Amino acid sequence: MKCPRCKTTAAVALPSHNAGFCPECFKVFFSRQVAKAIKERQLFSKEDKILIALSGGKDSLALARELQLQGYNTAGLHMDLAIPGSSDKARDHVERFCRDFGVDLHVLEMEKEGLPIPVVEKKFNRPVCSLCGRIKRYYFNKFALDHGFNVLATGHNLDDEAARLFSNVMRWDVSHLGSQGPDLPAEQGFVRKVKPLYRLSEFETANYSFLAGIDYCYSPCPYSKGASFTYYKTLLDELEYEQPGRKISFYEGFLNRGRQAFARQDEQQGGKPRPCPGCGYPTTGEICGICRIREIMGSKE
Amino acid sequence: MQILIEPENQWADIDRASTVLNLLKKLELRPNQAVVIRNGELLTPDRKIDPEDSIVVRKIASRG
Repeated sequence: MKCPRCKTTAAVALPSHNAGFCPECFKVFFSRQVAKAIKERQLFSKEDKILIALSGGKDSLALARELQLQGYNTAGLHMDLAIPGSSDKARDHVERFCRDFGVDLHVLEMEKEGLPIPVVEKKFNRPVCSLCGRIKRYYFNKFALDHGFNVLATGHNLDDEAARLFSNVMRWDVSHLGSQGPDLPAEQGFVRKVKPLYRLSEFETANYSFLAGIDYCYSPCPYSKGASFTYYKTLLDELEYEQPGRKISFYEGFLNRGRQAFARQDEQQGGKPRPCPGCGYPTTGEICGICRIREIMGSKE
Repeated sequence: MQILIEPENQWADIDRASTVLNLLKKLELRPNQAVVIRNGELLTPDRKIDPEDSIVVRKIASRG
């Protein structure tokens, strides 16, 4: 297979684009896809102060590198979840990446916040992934607001977004369908949230990270075994293999023709968030999810 | 042919895989589920491989 731009041997085959690129042309392709996402969805500009959530995996590190190369004003935030045998590796990758590429890094330690994930996992009789996700969203948002960032960027890619959409559709979850997208605007108590990699697949971010010399962490989280998203991703991989381009058309079709209807319906039916009396975080309940977790953990803020 | 599978860091002994696509089929992977690396170079599914090659198959699905 030859690269269509420079006619040298291709390194990355992309059936959904009916092409295969050499290393240099693939990086150009990747960069253009990110730029297109930012422009088409008006995600942010050079004036914005962007906080990037850095897990240490290929997606978040690729995002940080690419936004840095495109000249955006960025810094990274890593959350050390205190998971034995996993968190120390992830943190090490993030710290090395930020040192090697000159990215400003902040680290939040969940041990110090009184919410180490293994302890949360023991205390609650339910899958820890949703609690962990809730804790991460809360602290990323809080850190951004407290430190003057007006945009929070995450490395969610097309596979993440397509799997999430598939899951929301399977349940016809109007609230989640109405608020899913790569461009969630700032609201009272919430910083603007963006996903600039939404046009790029996991396969593409893995290839980019390799070619950009990013030493990312690829050890899976020990709690993620059997997660339904992993199964949905496998299903969608099969579909993409048989019908290249299905994932992006499924997701972009939703953004362009489906999302608004769900957002309108949710606006009519959903409750309006108010500040949590415990911490001020927006919530539709009596107290927010994090204050509830703290209550159960017996470690009030 | 000895193949290093990541992230498990396990070695697999694969017989008679003449191309990257054959190799991935034997490992029950689709081409969009792993990157295949030989001597620091990425390989597309159509590339020929040799029993003497040192190859890494890095699965890409992020979990957690």
